[in-house]
Amino acid sequence: MMERLKRINPRWAAVLAFLAVIGPGIITANVDNDAGGIATYSIAGASFGYTLLWSLIPITIALIVVQEMASRLGVMTGKGFADLIREKWGIRVTFYLMIALLFVNLSNTMAEFAGWAGSMEIFGVSKFVSVPIAALVVWLLVVRGSYNSVEKIFLFFTVIYVTYVISGFLARPDWGLALHQTLVPPISFKVTYWVTLVGVIGTTIAPWMQFYLQSAVVEKGIKPKDYTASATDVIVGCIITDVVAMFIIVACAATLNKHGITVSSAENAALALEPLAGKYASVLFAIGFANASLFAASILPLSTAYTVAEGLGWESGVNRTFGEAPQFNWIYTGMIFLGASAIILIPQRLLIPVIFGSQVLNGVLVPVTAFFALRLVNDRSLLGEHVNGRWYNYLAWASVLACSAAAIFMMITALFPGLMPS
Amino acid sequence: MLYLSRMLGKPVVDATGEEIGTVYDIAIATGEIFPRVTALAFLGPGKTPFMLSWRKYVEAFDDERITLNAARDALRFSYLQPDEVLLHRDLLNKQIVDTQGMKVVRVNDLKLSESKNQLRLLGAEVGVRGVLRGISPALESAVGWLAARLGAPLGENLIAWNYMDLLDRDLGHVKLSVTHKRLHELHPADVADILERLNPTQRGNVFDHLDNALAAEAISEMEDEYQADVVGDLTNQRASDILELMDPDDAADIIGDLPYDTAERLLRLMGLKEQRAIRKLLGYKDKTAGGIMTPEFTTVTEEMTAEQVIEHLRSEAAESETIYYIYVIDDDGTLAGVISLRDLILARADTKVEAIVERDVMSVDVDDDQEKVADLMSKYDLLAVPVVDETGKILGIVTVDDALDVMEQESAEDLALATGARRRFDTSGVWSWIGHRSSWLTVWIVLGIAGALVLRAFAGLLSTFVVAAFFIPLVLRLSEEIANHALGVLIEGDETPVSFARRLGLDAIVGLGLGIVSGLIALAVLQGVREPLASSLAVAAALALTIFAMTLVSATFPALLRRAEGDGWRASSSLVTTAMAAAGVAVYLGLALVLVRAAGS
Repeated sequence: MMERLKRINPRWAAVLAFLAVIGPGIITANVDNDAGGIATYSIAGASFGYTLLWSLIPITIALIVVQEMASRLGVMTGKGFADLIREKWGIRVTFYLMIALLFVNLSNTMAEFAGWAGSMEIFGVSKFVSVPIAALVVWLLVVRGSYNSVEKIFLFFTVIYVTYVISGFLARPDWGLALHQTLVPPISFKVTYWVTLVGVIGTTIAPWMQFYLQSAVVEKGIKPKDYTASATDVIVGCIITDVVAMFIIVACAATLNKHGITVSSAENAALALEPLAGKYASVLFAIGFANASLFAASILPLSTAYTVAEGLGWESGVNRTFGEAPQFNWIYTGMIFLGASAIILIPQRLLIPVIFGSQVLNGVLVPVTAFFALRLVNDRSLLGEHVNGRWYNYLAWASVLACSAAAIFMMITALFPGLMPS
Repeated sequence: MLYLSRMLGKPVVDATGEEIGTVYDIAIATGEIFPRVTALAFLGPGKTPFMLSWRKYVEAFDDERITLNAARDALRFSYLQPDEVLLHRDLLNKQIVDTQGMKVVRVNDLKLSESKNQLRLLGAEVGVRGVLRGISPALESAVGWLAARLGAPLGENLIAWNYMDLLDRDLGHVKLSVTHKRLHELHPADVADILERLNPTQRGNVFDHLDNALAAEAISEMEDEYQADVVGDLTNQRASDILELMDPDDAADIIGDLPYDTAERLLRLMGLKEQRAIRKLLGYKDKTAGGIMTPEFTTVTEEMTAEQVIEHLRSEAAESETIYYIYVIDDDGTLAGVISLRDLILARADTKVEAIVERDVMSVDVDDDQEKVADLMSKYDLLAVPVVDETGKILGIVTVDDALDVMEQESAEDLALATGARRRFDTSGVWSWIGHRSSWLTVWIVLGIAGALVLRAFAGLLSTFVVAAFFIPLVLRLSEEIANHALGVLIEGDETPVSFARRLGLDAIVGLGLGIVSGLIALAVLQGVREPLASSLAVAAALALTIFAMTLVSATFPALLRRAEGDGWRASSSLVTTAMAAAGVAVYLGLALVLVRAAGS
């Protein structure tokens, strides 16, 4: 025991206190760059060059606002997001929201398995072999309670994203054009442009992230006095995510878009890493893509099961059996099973469209969940003096409205293509 | 029967028939088992809530409306009393502790019933019915009808008021009925179970209401992984007060898990005596006799008489964990013997200790493994065993409760190692996990990747080889089965000893049968997916041969293992499974490779 009581320099103690709070924000942000994220940013860069780059600036602001609110709600109330929704709006609202979340998260889980299948395909392993193995591993990781140890391995491998930054530089992008198109957004009225924009929004500010982050903060028991450190954790995480996202778009724009290649498969998307890795680009991409997919596939079904059980008041916990917590276990198992089976059954060429579609669904749901967060965060009986300030509120409402507007505009352009000038 | 969910939002009508608002909440008096409804809250014009006395003003109520007996102008509004709880605000949709079922549940609805002109709360509905009713009453009746047809009628899951403890609202100042069971009246072990299911904030709320003695007991009863967190969340003064109340060995365990500066701070807040005891214990290694012993024990000398010893126990031994054994020491503190409480009481008052002392006393060394200590106590049915240093001086005792904890922990570890399952309490580092904990998962992953790489290497050469990969899981599963069987035979011992040759013969027949059946199934499957006949035959034959070979191995395995048993078979158990898996897959793939190649040429 004495070994554990190593002397710690008091100056380090302050750093350690900060590190103790660090985690939920950065982990959530890293999972944010999952299969859906990488694929969607790649598609955005490959199909639209630098013309969607501008959107990352408002999206980052919106992401920080939404995630900061989630973590503040968690720290100040000590309750999960679903918990608060249930207590404020009652069972009916919670139930329909949970159904929507279940559906969207299932599509996200499918996307993760599709990402895994795509990267294993690069290694020449058929999805018929790789996907069942992945499903089993993910299921066992949680059922046997080993997820926590494996999380560190997943986190370590997210370092691979740095390759996008390097590759982005090596590809010699037209920085002048990129900067110009960021500052003066060249907005197009094509359906695909808006669908991609909503996809980028949805993949960056995914609804499940709010639920996951808030639960993680609550589970960690972060105290209101440590809130500043927790907020820093969230903000740093959000910025890292979006810097990586930006470089994925730049790398894809400078390689794929330049040669007119669209992202129709994982093999294609890997070409963005060619300036750095040459002929090993696909291997490098596959490792990063596989890790991101498996990481998110371990978290999504579990987080969904926890959220739904929390909202509807069912027993939950990975150490409860099917008999003790039937709904929780069935949701968790069902999502993995359905997600994996769907990917096994659909044709190969649809893997990337499935991933992309799920992110668009995220983009449609996110204004709704952000709306709930915003209402909660302004409830004085919950947060007391920690409710939003006036300007922060304007910013938050603007974010919610902008996300809603993009989603609505996407639907209009999709339903009435003739309406818009092309 | 009335449900709160159906009443909320219904119109409130005054004596003149005019609608003056909608039902907003209902208050109950908390002093009874089935509490009376005492007040009605309704939302008047402009969304302003008003409260009325139920007894004075409510004339009638049903599913449709609540009718008052006075006109709007004659109403006198009231305020919420300290002993009242609001059903909607405080209970509906909230988490409560079901102190009978020992669970944390969410209130989906509240059931009320009318009796003798009074509306009373029957209980909180926490089951599926309440959820369905909350979504839509029509859905509830539809699902209820369907469930009844399917032979599994949807029951109500009601928790009566006297078995509820609220988590969000402090009931401390509320006058409760005598039968009201709250958390702090439960057994500490049950409290610990419930606390483990709460999040840190809720846990903090509950701890605020527990007195230090119960808090100390509850923490001692918690799983190790929660203890340090819980203590770390308390204020320093309270944490140190609680730790002081615990047995020093338990307290030392928890302090050992805290960060250094927190641990130091808590220790400094304690009394000098407790602090010294805990610091001393912290010096001993985890998982040894020293790590689980307590320094609170009673010693006497040989010159004392039985009467003196009893007197000594009365005055000194109040803090000892056990007094069933009294240890006898000589002048320099060396353990000289033991007397049992029984012998002491049966002895005459003036009998000297040396006349009744048992000199052949069982003791353990301070560095002995905790499992050895527990085994010793179990073997000799001891309630406590003294721990001595190398000179024979007594340092402390290990009591039976700690030994039981050790046995539970060790048997869970054994189970984990024997089956490859990983239990929650063992969340040590990544590397030890990879090393030997969840051996099966590791094997799966490593072999999966290795298999994929092997397949990739040969994919061009032998396209049919991919087909062989389908049966790798089967071979792995089989290897696991065989390894477990062998380990099982080893752990439990062979019930009916058969001669080795006979066993080999029997297993050969079984293996042959199994192999042929599996081979045929594989062949059928492969033909089903239109693989060429030659390679299908080769893969099926490889599978059949592997199964046959592995079954034979399983017959010889226990005998081999028993020979290798020696000291550390537990360490080798995961190794056995891993080795079996690797061997099985290697044999299978090798055979398949050779046979497919032969079939191809």
